[in-house]
Amino acid sequence: MAAAVTAAPKGNGGSRGQVGAGEADCTGTKGPGPLATAYLVIYNVVMTAGWLVIAVGLVRAYLAEGSYHSLYYSIEKPLKFFQTGALLEILHCAVGIVPSSVVLTSFQVMSRVFLIWAVTHSVKEVQSEDSVLLFVIAWTITEIICYFFYTFSLLNHLPYLIKWARYTLFIVLYPMGVSGELLTIYSALPFVRQAGLYSISLPNKYNFSFDYHAFLILVMISCIPVFPQLYFHMIHQRRKILSHTEEHKKFE
Amino acid sequence: MFKRHRSLASNRKRELFFQGVSRSIMKNDMRNFHSLSQLVLSAGPLKATPAVKHSKTTHYEIEILDAQTRKQICMVDKVTQTATIHDVKEKFHKACPKWYPSRVGLQLECGGPFLRDYITIQSVATSSIVTLYFTDLGQQVSWTTVFLAEYTGPLLIYLLFYLRISYVYDMKESTRRVRHPVVHLACFFHCIHYIRYLLETLFVHKVSAGRTPLKNLIQGCAFYWGFTSWIAYYINHPWYTPPSFGNRQVTVSAINFLICEAGNHFINVMLAHPNHTGNNACFPRPNYNPFTWMFLLVSCPNYTYEIGSWISFTVMTQTLPVGIFTLLMSIQMSLWAQKKHKVYVKKFNSYMHRKSAIIPFIL
Repeated sequence: MAAAVTAAPKGNGGSRGQVGAGEADCTGTKGPGPLATAYLVIYNVVMTAGWLVIAVGLVRAYLAEGSYHSLYYSIEKPLKFFQTGALLEILHCAVGIVPSSVVLTSFQVMSRVFLIWAVTHSVKEVQSEDSVLLFVIAWTITEIICYFFYTFSLLNHLPYLIKWARYTLFIVLYPMGVSGELLTIYSALPFVRQAGLYSISLPNKYNFSFDYHAFLILVMISCIPVFPQLYFHMIHQRRKILSHTEEHKKFE
Repeated sequence: MFKRHRSLASNRKRELFFQGVSRSIMKNDMRNFHSLSQLVLSAGPLKATPAVKHSKTTHYEIEILDAQTRKQICMVDKVTQTATIHDVKEKFHKACPKWYPSRVGLQLECGGPFLRDYITIQSVATSSIVTLYFTDLGQQVSWTTVFLAEYTGPLLIYLLFYLRISYVYDMKESTRRVRHPVVHLACFFHCIHYIRYLLETLFVHKVSAGRTPLKNLIQGCAFYWGFTSWIAYYINHPWYTPPSFGNRQVTVSAINFLICEAGNHFINVMLAHPNHTGNNACFPRPNYNPFTWMFLLVSCPNYTYEIGSWISFTVMTQTLPVGIFTLLMSIQMSLWAQKKHKVYVKKFNSYMHRKSAIIPFIL
C-alpha cells in the first residue's frame, strides 16, 4: 500500500515529486530558485546513495549467508534512516520548493514511515518474515529509480532510460510492494493482539480506548479500494507520458 | 464598428448586383425580364444604406464550450446587454434541460474562476461573441438540506446510544451499574445544542438561496455523524468514568455551557437581522444584551461561543474523543473566522480597531 501510494503519484508529475524537464506543467509554474535547486539536488543525490547502500547491503548479505531469509537485519539501520529522511519531502512541499500537494505527499511518506516503525520495528517477530524482504526490495528499486529521476530532472538532463524505467517497472514493483506490506501487517496481527500493543482499554480517566489490532485490520481493508485506482492511474499516466515523449522524438 | 461592417457589406452587394445585371443583359436577351427580376429580387437595397445608428439592442451570442473537451455544447443567442450570467444559465438550461442553473459552472477561460451569477455579460464581453467554458458542478443540494441533515443525525444517534441498545453495549453490565448524573446531563445538553441548531436553521438563519454540491452534504454528514457516534459510545458506556474533580467540575462547566449556548443564540439572532446580512451589511453593534458585548472584542463571536460550548462539554464529561472533536471543530471555525475577519477589516476598517477574529486578544 505504501509502495503503491508512493509509486503512483510519483508517476504523476504533478503530485509528489519535482516536475521534470520532460513533463509539461499546464500551469507553467516556475521551478525553484537556484539555491533551492542546489539543495534539492544534494538531497536527491544523498537519498539515491542511501538506497544504493541498502541495495548493496542486501546483495552482500545474500551472498554471505546464501539464503534470502532474515536479510532485514543486515539493512535495518540504513532503511530506517533513509526512509525516515523522506519526511523532509513533506517539508519541501510545505515550503513550496517542490510543486506537489502537501496532503498527498504526507499521506505517502507517513504510510511508509508507519510501516517501518509501527509495524516492522515494533513487532519483532515479524522481522524474519519473507514479506518484509518483498516490500524492502520493491521499495529499494523504486526509490533508486525515482531519486535518480528527480536528480536528473532538476539538472534538466533526463535520460530516456530512467524515465522509461520509472514509468514501466512499477507494473511489477507496485503489486510486489503492496503484497509485501499487506502480508507483513497480516503476520503482525496475532502478536499485536497477544501483547496488547499500543492499545488502551476502558475504563480509564479520560474515557478513551484504542485497539491497535482493529486499527491494523482497518488499514488493510482501506488498501482494497485504493490499490486498483492508483494502479490504473499509473498505467494511464504511463501511456500519456511515454507516448508524449515518442511524439517529441518523432518531431526532432 | 458594426456600422462600418454593414455599410461595406452593402456596398459590395451593390457592386456585384450591377456587374451581374450588365453581364446577363449582354449574354441573354430572351430571358432578360426574367433574369432581371430575379436579380432585383435577390439583390440588396437599391438605395444607399441609411446610416445605422449605434444600436441600443446589440445582442451578444454566447458560445458555450465544454471545459475539458473544448467542444461546443450550444450557442445562446439574443442575449441582451444587461443580461447577467444567471440569465445565460437559465437560457442554457432551456436549451439543455439536464443542466439546471445551480449545477452550471461558467468560466471565461479554462482554469479560471467561476463567474458569479450577478456579473453582467457586458462587463466580461470583449466582442459580440463571447466564449464561456462549462463545467458540471455536480448534483446540487440546498444549504438548508445540508444543515438539517447534519444536525438531525447527531441528535438521533446520541439518543440511540443513550438508550443503550443491546447491540452496542453488553446488557448485563448496562443494567448493573447506576449511571452517574453527568451522563444524563450530557445527553440533555447535547440534545439542547442540536435542537437549538435545527430551530435556528429553520427559523433564524437567512441562508442564501445558494446550493452546494452533493459531495459537501456527504462529507458534512459523515463528519458529524461519525464523531457523534464515537463520543456517544464513550459517554454512555457502562464503564464510563465520571470527571476527576466531581460535582464542582460538572457544575462549573455546565453553567459555562449554558452561557455559551445562550451567547451563540443571541449572536445568531443578531446576525440574521437584515442590517447585518447581504451586500449592504454594516458591522453589528453591541447593544444592551451582555452576550453581544463580545462584538467589542472579536469579529466572529458566534464561533467563539460555539468553541466555548464544546470546551465546556469536554470538561464536563472528561472524555478524550469529545476533546478531539472540539479540536477539529475549533480549527475549522478558526479558519472560517480568519476569512471573515479579513473581509470585515477591508469593509469596516473603522470598527475593527483592536479586534481579533475569534479568541479575544489572541487569534
